[in-house]
Parts: sequence; C-alpha cells; structure tokens
Amino acid sequence: MLHLNFNLNLSRMKKLFLFFVLFVLAGASTLWAQTKVITGTVTSATEGEGAIPGVSVFVKGTTVATSTDANGKYSLTVPEDAVTLVFSFIGMKQQEVTIAGRSVVNCVMESDVVGLSEVVVTALGIKREKREITYQTQKVDNAELSVAQPTRAGSALAGKVAGLQINVQDNGVNPSTQIILRGLRSISADNQALVVIDGTIASLGAFDDLNPNDIADLSILKGATAAALYGSMASNGAVIVTTKKGQAGEKITVGLISTYTAEQVAYMPKFQSEYGTGWEGAYDAIENTNWGPRFDGTLRQIGNTWPDGTYQAVPYAPVPNNLLDFFNTGSTFNNTAYLSGSHETSKFYLSVGDQSSTGIVPKDKYSRNTFRVNASKKVGNVELSLNSSFFTDHTDQVGSTIGDQDRPLYWFLLNTSANIPLSRYWDWRNDKYSDPSGYYNGYYENPYFCVDTNRYLIWTNRLTANIQLSWDIAPWLNLTTRAAANNDWAYSKNWRDAYDFDTDLKPTGSSISSFLEDREHQTSDYIGDALMTGNWNFNDFTLKAIVGGTVMSYKYRYHYIRVNNLSIPNFYDISNGTGSPEVTADALDERQFGFFGDFTLGFRNFVFLNFSGRNDWTSTLAKGNNSYFYPGVGLSFVLTDAIDALKNNAILSYAKITASNSTVYNDLSPYRLNEIYSKPGNFPYGSVNGFALSGTTVDANIKKEKLNTTEIGVNLGLFKSRLMIDASYFMTKTTDLITNTTPSITSGATAFLTNIGELMGKGLELTVGGSVIQTNNFSWNLSVNYTTNETIVNEIKEGLNEILVSGTSAWGVYAIKGMAFPQIKANTYVRDPEGRIVVDPLTGYPETNAALTPLGRTTPKHIVGLNTSLNFYGFTVSATIDYRTGHMFYSQLAANMEFTGRSLESVSANRQNFVIPNSVIETSPGVYVENTNIPIQDGRQSYWTDVYNNVFENYIKDATALKIREMTLSYTLPSKVLANTPLQKVAIGFIARNLYTLLPAENAFSDPEFNNTNNNAIGIGGYNQMPPTRSFGVNLNIEF
Amino acid sequence: MKSIIKFAIVLMVAGLLASCEDFLDVNVDPNNPTTVTPDLVLAPAQYYTAYRIQSDRGISHLGNMFMDNWSQSDGYSWYSDEFKYNVTSTFYAGTFNNTYGAALKQYQILANLEDSKYDNYKAIGMIMKAYHFQILVDSYGDIPYFEALGRSLEATPAYDDAQAIYEDLITQLTDAIALINNASSAVTPGADDAMFGGNMTNWIRFANTLKLRILTRQCDMSGRSSYIQAELATIASEGHGYITGDVGVNPGFIAKETNKQNVIWDELGWDAAGTQTMSSKATCATAYIIDYLTATSDPRIDYIYEKPATGHKGVPQGLLDYDTPVVDQYMPEFVSNIGPGILKSGDQDAIIFTLAESYFNQAEMRQKSFITTGASAQSLYESGITASFLYLGLDAADAEDYYTQSKVLVGWNSSANKVEAIITQKWIAVNGITAEQSWFDYNRTGYPSGIPLPLNYNATADRPVRLAYPSGEYSANGDNVPTQPNVFTAKIFWAN
Repeated sequence: MLHLNFNLNLSRMKKLFLFFVLFVLAGASTLWAQTKVITGTVTSATEGEGAIPGVSVFVKGTTVATSTDANGKYSLTVPEDAVTLVFSFIGMKQQEVTIAGRSVVNCVMESDVVGLSEVVVTALGIKREKREITYQTQKVDNAELSVAQPTRAGSALAGKVAGLQINVQDNGVNPSTQIILRGLRSISADNQALVVIDGTIASLGAFDDLNPNDIADLSILKGATAAALYGSMASNGAVIVTTKKGQAGEKITVGLISTYTAEQVAYMPKFQSEYGTGWEGAYDAIENTNWGPRFDGTLRQIGNTWPDGTYQAVPYAPVPNNLLDFFNTGSTFNNTAYLSGSHETSKFYLSVGDQSSTGIVPKDKYSRNTFRVNASKKVGNVELSLNSSFFTDHTDQVGSTIGDQDRPLYWFLLNTSANIPLSRYWDWRNDKYSDPSGYYNGYYENPYFCVDTNRYLIWTNRLTANIQLSWDIAPWLNLTTRAAANNDWAYSKNWRDAYDFDTDLKPTGSSISSFLEDREHQTSDYIGDALMTGNWNFNDFTLKAIVGGTVMSYKYRYHYIRVNNLSIPNFYDISNGTGSPEVTADALDERQFGFFGDFTLGFRNFVFLNFSGRNDWTSTLAKGNNSYFYPGVGLSFVLTDAIDALKNNAILSYAKITASNSTVYNDLSPYRLNEIYSKPGNFPYGSVNGFALSGTTVDANIKKEKLNTTEIGVNLGLFKSRLMIDASYFMTKTTDLITNTTPSITSGATAFLTNIGELMGKGLELTVGGSVIQTNNFSWNLSVNYTTNETIVNEIKEGLNEILVSGTSAWGVYAIKGMAFPQIKANTYVRDPEGRIVVDPLTGYPETNAALTPLGRTTPKHIVGLNTSLNFYGFTVSATIDYRTGHMFYSQLAANMEFTGRSLESVSANRQNFVIPNSVIETSPGVYVENTNIPIQDGRQSYWTDVYNNVFENYIKDATALKIREMTLSYTLPSKVLANTPLQKVAIGFIARNLYTLLPAENAFSDPEFNNTNNNAIGIGGYNQMPPTRSFGVNLNIEF
Repeated sequence: MKSIIKFAIVLMVAGLLASCEDFLDVNVDPNNPTTVTPDLVLAPAQYYTAYRIQSDRGISHLGNMFMDNWSQSDGYSWYSDEFKYNVTSTFYAGTFNNTYGAALKQYQILANLEDSKYDNYKAIGMIMKAYHFQILVDSYGDIPYFEALGRSLEATPAYDDAQAIYEDLITQLTDAIALINNASSAVTPGADDAMFGGNMTNWIRFANTLKLRILTRQCDMSGRSSYIQAELATIASEGHGYITGDVGVNPGFIAKETNKQNVIWDELGWDAAGTQTMSSKATCATAYIIDYLTATSDPRIDYIYEKPATGHKGVPQGLLDYDTPVVDQYMPEFVSNIGPGILKSGDQDAIIFTLAESYFNQAEMRQKSFITTGASAQSLYESGITASFLYLGLDAADAEDYYTQSKVLVGWNSSANKVEAIITQKWIAVNGITAEQSWFDYNRTGYPSGIPLPLNYNATADRPVRLAYPSGEYSANGDNVPTQPNVFTAKIFWAN
C-alpha cells in the first residue's frame, strides 16, 4: 500500500513552491489584450465619517483587485471589457457599481447592520440571512479559531461559544476532545454534537482530522430546533464546518503558516515530602510506597543487595520534582502551505499540512499530513464543486497495559517513592541500578524500561470527498445535489516485551509476559442529498421552500488479533505468538433514508415563520416500526424593523426575538433488537466450543427515544452594533429513553434495554460582546459568554430510581430520579444529623454507609468564557479564558496517591493515631456524643490504606477550574513595508495555550476536564492520563 | 448537461423508492448468534461453575481465608479485608453477582428446555442450579429463587425464605433424576459435558450426593428428622448411590496457553507464560495450620502446602510487622505457598465437589443415625481421609498410617467426639479445594475448634456467619432485598 509520509524538509518545500508558482503562472497566462485605468474615491454615507481606507475594489468575476489608500482613493488597471466594480469592506454593505465607460468611479458605502444581514450556514448547508433564522446559532471564524494555532479544531472552541462544553480528554501527542452542546439529554445515547463538513454529515473523527487552518468558519447550531432537518442525528445540535473555498474576486494567494510550540508539564499533583520508602512505619529498601519512617537525611540502601554484597544507597531525603523530572519538553512543528484564488467562473483552495510532534513522555511521537483540494466551476447556471481531503497520521506512544498488572505508565511513576532520584535511571540497558532486576522497586518496573518495551503504534488515514452540483433552474429555483464519502482506515500494533527477573536479585519481581495486538478498522460512510429550493415574493410576503431527500449508509469493519508469549524478542508479527491467538472480526451496517421539507414564510422582511418536517426510515428498528416523523416550527421577529418607534434608533441598532420548537428522535444502534449469544474469551477448548447468553436482555417493543425542544432567543445590537447581546433559553424533554436499565442481577441479566423515563434539560445562554474602544490605531474587543444548564431525571420507571452509567460497587456515575444527570455517587461516612462522622467506639474507625450516596453532578453547572483582543499599530494581543464550576469528579489519582502514601492527607496526622476531627459516637440509637478520646488505630499506615482509602467520598473532588486557554501576541507588518517585495502579508505571533489553571485547594491532583472515556461516564479521571501541560510557541504567516 | 442531471435525479429518486425494503434490510447481526443448541451452552456454564469455586477470590478462597488455611506473604497488601472480617456489600460480591449473572443464567437456558429430546440437558441444568443455589443460601440466607433468572420478564425478583428454597432444591433434584431415568430417547451430551462427559449415571449420583449435602446441613435442626430420613430413603431406593470420584470441571484445559489453563492454577499458581502469579506469591499457609498438621504428623502438609528449602513456615493472619524479629522472614520464598497437591498442573480438573466430603457427610449421617445400614461411620470416616490422601497424591497406605495414629481427631477410636473428628478431617480434606464447606460446617457445628482469629482484628465477634447482600441489590432491587442481617450473629437457618 502507498504510504505517505511528508516530513517537512527544505528541498521538498522548494518543490512544493515551484509547483505553486507554476500553477500561478498558468493562471496568469490568460492575459488580457487591452486594459484601461480607473480611479476613484470611496466615502461613507454616514455623516462625518468621510473617506474609507482599506476598501477592497475588484472587477466582478475576475481576480483584478486593489484597495483604497489612507485617503480612500484607489487606482485599478482593468480589462477593456470590464463591466462592474465591486466595493467591499467589513461593516459596510457590499456595493456593485457599473463602470459604464467612466474612468472615475466613486462609491458611497452604507454601513451594514452586522447583526442581521450576516449569512449563516444552517442545516443541510442552507445559507440564510441571520434575520430569518428562528433559532440561535453562533459563528466562529478562522481568525478566532486558529489564533493560537491549535492542532485540533475542537480544543480551540473551548470558551468561545455559549452553550458549548469542550472536554479535552487527555494530553498526549494525539489528544481527543468531547464536544457537548447544552449539556446531556440522553442517558445512553451519544450526547456529542453532530459534525457537518461542507454540507455533509461527517464525524467527530473527521473534525479532529481537519487541519484547523483549512477551516473558513464554524457555525454552531446549538440545539435540536436548529438541527431538526438532520432527523435522528439532530438531537445534540451541530457544528457546521465550512472549509476555505477561495473568494470570488480574490487574487491568487500563496501562503505559508508555520508554527513551533514547546509543551511542558504545567503542574504535578501536590506530594508530601516527609516520609519515604517503607511499609507500616518501617524502612523497606524495595517498597513502592511511602509508609517508611520520617526522612532523616541518612544514607540508606535502596533495592536489594547484589550477590557480591554491593548495593545502592541514597540519602533518605525527598528528591524535589523526582517525578516531574521524568517528563520531557515536547515540541510541535506545524506547517501549512496553501494556494487559493479565483478566476472568472472558478474558485479553488489547495493546502498541504505537515505536523510533527514529540510528547512530554520520552519517545512519544506523532506526525501527520493533511491535504485539501476544494474547487468549483460554474458552467452556465450550474455550479459544480468538489471538497476533498486526505489525512494520514502516525502515533508512536507508550502502551497502556504495562507490567504484569496491565497498568498505565503514570501508575509506575506514582509508585516511585519520594526519596528516589528517578531521572537517574534512564540507562536501563547499561546501568546496573536501572536494569529491571537491579532497579530498587520490588513491585513496579523502572518507567524508563516501560517506555522502551511497551509501544503502541497507530496509523490512520481518512479520505473525504464531497461533490456538489448546484443548478439555478430559474432565478427563483435551485436544485442542489450532493454525494459524499467519508472513509477512514487505520491499523495499529501494540506490544509488550517479556522480561524475566533475576530471582536472586529481585525475588518479588513477577515476570512480565509479552503480547502483540494487531488491529485494523475501516469505516465507509456514504451520503447522498438532493434539495430543491424555491423563493417566491408576493407583495409583502416572501416564501422560501425547500424539499429534498437524503440517503445514508454506514459500514464498519474491525479486525483484532492478539497473541501472547512471543518466541523471538523484538519481532512483532502474529506468527511470533504461542498458543491460540485471540481473534475478533466484527462488522456493522446501518442505513437510513429520509425526505424533508422546510418552508419559511416572511412578511415585510421583519417576521419569518418556519415549518419543517422530516420523515426517516431506519434499518435498526423492526420493519413496520421504523418510520419516524420529525416536525419543527419557528418564528423570527425583527422588532427594530417592525415597530416604527424603534426604527433608526440611535441606541438600539437592531432587536430580534426568536422562538422555536421541534421533535426529534434518537435512533437505536444496529443489531440491538435481539438477545445475542457470544463466545466467552476462553472458548473453544479444542473441539469443545461454547456460547454464553449476553448479559443484556431486550424489550420486545423497543422504539426510538423522543426529544422535544423549545427555545426562545433574543438578539440585540446597541450603539451601531458595537455592543451585541445574544440570549437564549431552552427546554428539552427526553422521553422513552433507550437505556440499559440495571435489573437485579438475580434476574440473570446485567442490563435490560428498554425505553424508560423522562429527562428534562433546561438552560440559559448569554453572550455580551463588542468593541469597547475603536479608533484608527487602537481597538479593544471583548466578549463574555455565560452558560448554565441542568438535566434533571424526572422519571425512570416504576420501582427503579437510578441507572448506573459506569462504576464499581464503591463509586459510579448514575442517572438518579429527581437529580441532575450525570450524578456521581460514592460510598460515604455515616454522619449524624449535624454532619459529624460517626465512629466505631471500639476502633475509632469511621463507619461507612452500605449504600452509595449522590455527591453532585459531573458536568459544569456554570461555564463562563471570556475572549478579548487588543489591536494597536499592527500588534494584536488576545486571550481566551474560561471558568467552569458546579460539578464534581472522581480523582483516581488521589485514591492511588493515598495508597502509596504520597498524598498530603497521608501526613496530615503525622502518621499517628488520632481522633477524627468532628466525629461522634452513637451511644444509643439516634443519640450522638462527641468523640474526644477514641483515636483511630494503625495511624502509621493501615488506617490510611485500608480504611480511609476505601471511602471514595474522600476522592470525589470539586471540578471547578479557571483556565487561561489561549493567549497570543501577534504583529502584522504594515503593507507599505512590503510594497517593494513579492510578499503580501507577513505576520508573526507568540502563542501560549493552557497558560494557567487555577484549581480549588481540594483538587491538588490534576485537570478535572480529563476523562477516561468519551461516553456519558463524565467525571472519572486520574492516572490514565498524563499530567496537564501548557505550550508556548511562535507562529509565522506569510502570503505572496 | 441538463439531461445528465435529470437522469441522475430520476435515477436517485427511483432508486430510493424502489429499493426501500431491501435497502434497510441489514439489521441481522453478523457477529453474534441469536440462537444456539444446548451443547454449546453447557460447557461455558460448567466453566463458570469452576470459576465461582476455584478462582482467585472465589468461594473456596473465602473459605480458605475464614478457616485459617491461608495467609499473606511479606510484600503484599492482599488480604486486609479478609483479616479484618470487613464483610461489606462489596466483600466477595462476585459470589452473589457472578453466580446469578454467569453460571445460573446459563444453566437456566438448559432448565428451560421444553423439547423432550433435550431432557438430559434439562436435568443437568436443574442439578447444577441446585448446586449453586445451595451455596448461595449457605452464604446469604434468603435470596431470590422462585422468581429469579426471568431476565426481561422479572427484573426485580422477590426474596424467598431460605428453608423453602432448600426444600425445593430437593424436589428439583428428585425431578432431575426422574428426567434422566426416563430419558432413554433423549440426546446424551458428549465432550461438551465438562464434568461427566455425558455419563448420565454419574449425574444421578452427583444429584444424590447434592441431596446428601443439603440434608446433612439440616441434620442438627430440631423437627427435621423425619423429613431427612424420608429423603435419605428416597436416595436409597433410587439406587445409584453417591459419587465415586472427585467431581471436577475440565472442558479441555491446556497448560501454558493464555485463557486455557485450569482456573486455580492460572490465578493462584502460574500463568500461561509460566510466571508465578502475584496472588500465588502473596498467598501462603497460616502459622496455625502448619503447626496443626505438623503436630498431627499429617503427611498431607507437603501436598497442601509448598515446602520451601528452609522448611515449612506459615504467617499468622493479620500480622502487621513482618520483619521482627527477623527481616524478610516471611518473604514468598521462605513461606509455605499453596502446595503441589492443590496446584497439580495447568490442565488439571477444577474440583467443585470432593469425594472425601461425600464420605464425611455419609459418616456424619451414619454417626447421627439418620443412616442405619451399610458401611459404619468409622469406615466412612476413614474412606473420607483416604479419598483426601489419594486426591492430593499420596496413597491409601499413607492414609492408613495416618488415621491409625492414636491421636485425638485423627484416629477414630482416639476421638471421643466423633462428629468433631469428622468435621475436622473434612476441614483438612477440603483445604485449598472446596474450603467454603468447612466455613459452613464451622457456622453449623463450631468445629474445628481452636482455630485462631486474625491478629489486630479489633472487634470481639467470632468469624462472620454470612455474607452481605451486594450493593447492586439495594439499587436495582431495593423493594425486595431485606435489611442486611448482622453478618456476625444472624446465622443461616440450618445453624439455629
């Protein structure tokens, strides 16, 4: 197979540019035979504003363009046959002026009411003016998105959109993000936003695989009323991505964006530094835990004694940053070269992206290449366009099932005691104290050894293509058809090398077995759409009618082979395994088709009434029960145009209210209608095969889950639209939730898939933004967005009050009747009515409740985002800050650090027996007496490791976080400096990401945003992720 | 151009409408079957049975901890809950959850079979259900039984009275035996029967032996004599008698293959790569059992426990300071880990019922005169000891040398309290194999006497007498699950 790997090097870049230059020359070869010069002045219609500098002036349908100087004057050489000049400037309505033989063409531009005439891309790629939209959307353009040059578009959205919660699941060289709009509204179904790229339903994976520099803008459809035309995929709102296409009238631009960033650990958990290696208060030279005596600075043996009597000794004293020193400074070098422009009837955008990164974990590497070709051509009244991309990447990272306990790497770091100078042991192949048998730790291996002998290599590829045909049958009638493919294929190898410990040197070492896992998967999504759009005007009325159909097919194939106990070291092929391999080969097919109609009736351009409907047929439900209708209705009312008293108001520039309602349904996944049998992992034994009945039992009458959403919104523009306020309120009621309920295990089932209950989600979003100061050389823009939402479980079902989403018998994420979802529960202390901990009068140990107690929701109740930028003399300083609060998370890291005796709690009583503060004894039922004299037992260790460590209430922490997510300083060279060079633009920037994080005192551990999974089990993280990082970098953008 | 577009549109719309039916017809799961024959259900079910008994933290493991057979080596923090008798809703919850959720779920498919062609499979399902339900009652008391295993039909089964369940188990076993005896035209299992290879006579014997276990458990209850005698008479008249060998599960275990090894060998011995597992190193003899076996000149000590080069050594349960007076004295290489009579090989049978126990149960019933004919109590007692010796790898002569010693609780004639001798010998015979039985015996009889409580065990109560219902029942079946009875004082009905 062709393997593409474009590592950036100069000679290759030169070839690339040569190619671009040839392309430019080819375009320019169609020179015009005769030309003439046109001059003129552009002024503002608003009294007192006078000439406007920087207005772009171009010949309609060509690339011949210039812009006005400081006095609003321009001079342009145009072809003899040029007909129309186009004047365009931000904040002004675009003007087209016929040349009509003149050599002086002046233009008076009118200011535009920015808020309402902006064109927004809505569901199915339908473009609408903002004034006619009956629901709330928010647009993020490329400048806002890629200001800090993120490698993933998703992570750059954090803090920028009201109602949007971005969760970065993990650091690492290939991070993943979770995109949630308006909280959760389903217990079991996916709550992540739908991603649509260039009009076609894509996937979160396709979004992550986009080069952020290729994105022209994003339109966020926040709720189901906005996305209703997507039918069963509409429930979670949508992120509508439009990639760059080349602008009409744009000159040919060749550009390069280069970014270098360095990434380092932002902060480590807070560790105690008073006690070191040992167990039960006694020094133990091979312990992974810190339950030894208090540090005394003396030289002590660590590790076992060699047969020749030698051993290693280090001072029994804390080694500051001994774990932090393990991590490297990672780096990312990211380049995008692009070519865009237009010529008469065609437009194009081409780009090549190259990223190569190294991670904070030694040896972690990542590289990727992106390619995009977007082009369109108009033939008569038919426009044909192609949007296509190819993506390939390679991840080379440490495996996550290390050692004989299948642990992640961070676990091995955390199980290194405080007095161990970890970074000294990097040379495990040569240094006797770093060698796995010679390394001090009797129970966990040297992390440097782990990094070299556990690797997970992944190669992924994605090809997307979308061919669109748009035919203006008549000026009022358009037919658009689209055919799209979104295919990705990936393969990976994950292995662990075997190791046999020297049993004389390390009798506690448990041999490490080797394995090799080989995975491949392929998804093929094909989607076809056809839309007929008509526009009619009858006196004061307008009607925009859209009818169409869509058809979708998803296929998924997955192969997995694992072999164990490899025969030849360092040879990673399935043939090298012993015993029978574990094999999985799975396939999934899902199909759907639907027809839809959307009708918007306008009256005098200030009131718009929208009706939409869609009917879907799905393959995942039983025939006769698989057709669903999705109705929607909406109203938009522009008060400032409708009410005379509000027209031309000096303060209120515009005011619009919207209201909408829709019903959509969440589909079932494929193959869930029947109970299945599956083969247990250990079968067959020779010729004896076996199948076990699935733990999941299924309701015979299962149907789709229903979501009804109502939304109202207000959009206000004040002071010539310099201050804009958008507010919206929504309510989503979900019923017939498709959910795996938990039956009693005694029913013989672990899950019962059925329709249950009711969720009620409510929320408020508010965005206030504008330009605080605006002068010629100085401007300050500020935007603040606020989100609050809550999903309450109104009903589950008779006799059932909660649903477990994920967890164990000691903690879990649940849906609980009457409470906010998702809710975290844990085992807790028994407390008296005053909240004091009840202790056992014999042992002083706290008593714990048998049942788990709800301790709070795991999604933020409040999110505040702040975006600001200052511009002065070509310099721009910008920042994105967000604050999330009102939620909890389970820190697995905290629990582990307790066991290893590295937490601050573990030294809070100086390892002595102590009376639990604010504790009581129950002297007779309901009678509590303050405990002043009964201490806990075994305070030197067992209390902490066996009692405190088993009460998970201790590890449910406040997830509040304030983050400075992005901060940049950039400078764009003035155009006059570049006047005598081929360069059109030179901009240089300094960028910082995740610059600063403020956490509450009780979270001394890690980023609460990190999560083990991207499903609805939100709020569980810790040692499966590496410590949080921040990055700093420089960015250069040049254009020719 | 236009005609091409028109053609494409017509084709697309026509294609959509014409092929709707077929187009959506892709919902048949290509990855998993929705129906399977009983022979494919049986072997996994029996594997789950073996797993419940023999696995790391299986029910026998619990018996080994509670009955002072096993302790913890230096360097491991493995058994804190066991040494503190920290019997909470999460403690050994697999006993409850996975018995219902894996083994019983699977046997219920067999027990539900309606086609008489499968009567043998149906009977096996019923017998194995009785086997598991008895252990559940013995561990938890009242449990869901009559409404259990209904899956989507009954998501929250009611809890039933323990004694009522016990009585129905006997009925079910009687019915199962009748099914087998009348199933001449039914399919007989073959290699898919991982316990008896399709030998239905052995299944009848096993059913009779289970009845004996159920009846023996109730033999000290007042007012049950006539019931027990009547049921023993039914066994006698049925005629096939009791098991003639140790009952084990072996679907075809393969040594040194991942996921294919015998359960206890794989988890408490050596994994497929031949590496001694952490649990194996962490687990060793108690000081008490080493002393006891040494004092009784029991040669089984070298089979039940591994003998280090430095000689047998056990660790008191609950020890905190392992290094006083001698540093590293209790490291795995110096203590007696689980022995070669228990861990024989990677492909050994996973024992779920010992022949020795069958003899000891018969001996107790004979001694208590519920059985009045046949072999004497002494003979049955000595057969029990011999069966234990043979299983562990010794021979009958070794057994005779042992039980002819004039030592209390060893030699029959030297033991004034015959019942105590039977129960104590059963404790040694099931050590490491089905040790949960000696925990149940202890709760019923108080024998063996004198076994110590763990060190640093701060409460005053004796051993737990039952397990706590798992927390899942309080959330998923809250209306039915009873308030948790005291795990130290509320004995199972047969111990009252």
